[in-house]
Amino acid sequence: MDLFVAIFTGTIIAATPLIFAALGELVVEKSGVLNLGIEGMMLMGAAFAFGAVVAGYSMPVAIIAGALAGAVTSLLFGVLALTFLTNQYAAGLALAIFGSGVSAFLGRGFGSAPIEALQRIHVPLLSDIPLIGPLFFHFDPMVYLALLMFVVISWFLYRTKSGLVLRTIGESPQTAHAIGYPVIKIRYMAVLFGGLMAGLAGAYLSVAYTPLWVENMTAGKGWIALALVVFATWRPLRVLLGAWLFGGMTILQLQGQALGLAVPSELLSALPYLATIIVLVIISQNRQMLALHFPASLAKPFRPAT
Amino acid sequence: MDNTTRREFLKYGGALGVALGAAGLSSIARAQEALKIGVVYVSPVAEIGWTKQHSLGVDAIKAEFGDKVELTVIDNIFMPQDAERIFRELAASGNRLVFGTSFSHGTPMQKVAPRFPEVAFEHCSGIVHLANLGTFEAKYYEGTFVAGAAGGHMSKSGKLGFIGGFPIPDIVGPANALLLGAQSVNPDATCNAIFLNSWFDPGKEKEAANTLISQGCDVICSMTDTATGVQVAGEKGAWSIGYASDMAKFGSGKQLTAFVLDWTSNYLRAARGVAEGTWKPEARWEGLAAGVVKMAPYNEAIPADVQTKLKQLEADIGGGKLHPYAGELKDQGGNVKVAAGSVLSDNDIRGMNWFVNGMIGKLG
Repeated sequence: MDLFVAIFTGTIIAATPLIFAALGELVVEKSGVLNLGIEGMMLMGAAFAFGAVVAGYSMPVAIIAGALAGAVTSLLFGVLALTFLTNQYAAGLALAIFGSGVSAFLGRGFGSAPIEALQRIHVPLLSDIPLIGPLFFHFDPMVYLALLMFVVISWFLYRTKSGLVLRTIGESPQTAHAIGYPVIKIRYMAVLFGGLMAGLAGAYLSVAYTPLWVENMTAGKGWIALALVVFATWRPLRVLLGAWLFGGMTILQLQGQALGLAVPSELLSALPYLATIIVLVIISQNRQMLALHFPASLAKPFRPAT
Repeated sequence: MDNTTRREFLKYGGALGVALGAAGLSSIARAQEALKIGVVYVSPVAEIGWTKQHSLGVDAIKAEFGDKVELTVIDNIFMPQDAERIFRELAASGNRLVFGTSFSHGTPMQKVAPRFPEVAFEHCSGIVHLANLGTFEAKYYEGTFVAGAAGGHMSKSGKLGFIGGFPIPDIVGPANALLLGAQSVNPDATCNAIFLNSWFDPGKEKEAANTLISQGCDVICSMTDTATGVQVAGEKGAWSIGYASDMAKFGSGKQLTAFVLDWTSNYLRAARGVAEGTWKPEARWEGLAAGVVKMAPYNEAIPADVQTKLKQLEADIGGGKLHPYAGELKDQGGNVKVAAGSVLSDNDIRGMNWFVNGMIGKLG
């Protein structure tokens, strides 16, 4: 039973940074903008959050600093892609490289100082229930924040007028512009939100998950988040399930290795990627659904006619 | 010393050549005979870890030679294609001794060295020697054997956990020695092994440590370049064994010891050799005896008599009285690989691609 608890909680925790980053990117892409620079924004978030803790600021301040660092980084992409209408693929890739370089530079100062990790919550009574307590009421606050963000984003996108406007802009910015919506401004807000979420993902890695700062510590999680959005066919629930699936397979393959499963470790290590791709490809078979959820103007530059 | 990042390096590197831009100009003002040494690190110098230990070697050169040496350090060079260019530029810009510090620097050094026969090249963790390319490496397994013995004494479950980057002989061997050390104390000890299949992924490393602990391992040895394994073990109340640097301050008081790498003697020997004109390419492979592998101070929780035994063990291995891979050694299937009375040959140690009996895990 302990093993089950370990696998379950490990999965939820491993999925949390992916949930933040992928949900942020989902909102960005729903507005018709493709920001490939998640990795760079995450690294900036991780570096700033960690730096803030080392500098003696409290955990909440550090996490907010990380989120803001991600948002400011994304602004750079916004200016390039939305104001100067550069190619979004190129601008996003540039941002990924830029973020990894700048964060490495800024991070030189903090070495690898040990820090106290973000504390896990302890709800009186609830956390002490056998099985249920450790399964559901013993995570750090950011795990719950990630789930809350899932609820808020799903509600925003599909249950509010603003969400409808955002999706319209992703489908046809011309139409949205014609009926008077400030397309560029809204896209900027989406990009900033995406940066904020990527920053949170990075902050989670550096102050809660590992907790340490090392150069390029995201180790490709930004790219996985990006892939999750596509494989989840731009739907929040599938992003969440995809992240859990990926996290779960990661934990399971490690458990399998440690148990001495008669499968080479190289193959087991590839399992999370294989399983996530296969499952998400299978559930994305329905082309009609795919066409329905794919933002038609994704990565297409738009300049309002004057 | 100029501590230049790759990015700064590229900035300076354009027309002038980096040594001229970053270090060379100042050399004109200085004594002409200053010995120029170039060092290439695989990652930035952190507070702990592989590159930090190399930087201590470089510091030792600086301390001994003072003004008579001019060091150019380029960090964060991992990819062979980057490394080749850097090595060529270092050699071309008047450095008489060039250090490479990663296995991945091997092929580029082998390509560059023959073109600069007057430059001495030293490659840490290399295997190929040329007329002007020497190598040095540590006997990690001597350190893991002693650490394993400490773990064997302290483990309640008799289950150790090992985390490695890739299942290659340089990592598989030390993992085996860890368990053999533990079995020298507790014959029933076992060791679960996880390979991350990545040189660098702190997140996965954390999950690996959690996994091992959830399966009952109460001594975690992580042979990776971060303190994550030691940190997680400390949080969960398991013992840990540090690698490369003493990681005690990350371990919440639970680091038993660490097998520390001290390359100072290698750096000094090469620098002195080049300065005196006596440098020759060597294949140095040293451990506890030469102090290239050192045990970090033992945890106070280890009883005094056990600490004495561990120190004796260090002396015995260093003095050649005891060989970590002495027979009889069986593989996972129970087949005898080393007969009683003999020891594994050096070649077999450096090519170890099998797990000893008691290891839990599967090698490809």
